[in-house]
Amino acid sequence: MDPSSMNSPELQNLLAQEKQKAMISEMISKLTSACWDKCITGSPGSKFSSSEANCLTNCAQRYMDMSLIIMKRLQQ
Amino acid sequence: MDSFSSPSSGSSPKFSTDDIMTQLRTQLEQAYAEEFLETVRGKCFDKCITKPGSSLSGSESSCISRCIDRYIEATGIIGKALFNQR
Repeated sequence: MDPSSMNSPELQNLLAQEKQKAMISEMISKLTSACWDKCITGSPGSKFSSSEANCLTNCAQRYMDMSLIIMKRLQQ
Repeated sequence: MDSFSSPSSGSSPKFSTDDIMTQLRTQLEQAYAEEFLETVRGKCFDKCITKPGSSLSGSESSCISRCIDRYIEATGIIGKALFNQR
C-alpha cells in the first residue's frame, strides 16, 4: 500500500470535506463583511444594540432567501 | 496557494494522508487568519480613523478596540444566523 497516493479515496473524501468547510467559511466571511456595512452604521459601541444585532441576523437570513430565489429563477 | 513543504528526512518524499491533511488545515487556518485581519483592519480604519491626525487619539484607540470586539461578535452572529434558520 502506498501511503503517499494522492488518489486514495480516503484522501479525496477528506479533501472534499475540507473544501466544503472552506466554502462555508468564505460565505460567513463575505456575509459578515456585507452585513456589517449594512447594519453597523455608526461608531462601534461596547455592545451591539438589539436593532444592530437583529439587523445582522436578518441580513444573513435574507441573503439566503435571496440566494434561493436566484437559483430557482436560473433553473427555469 | 502555498505548495506543501516536503518533509526534511528521506530522499523520496512520501506523504501520509495525515501529513497532507494536517498541512492543509494549518495553511487554511493561516489564510483565514490573514483574511480576517485584513478585513478588520479595513472596517475599523473606515469607522474609527475619520480624520487622521499626527497620532492616534485616545478615542480613536478605544473605537478600534470596540470595533475589533464587535466585528468578532458580528462574525458569530452571522454564523449562527446561517445555521439556525427558521
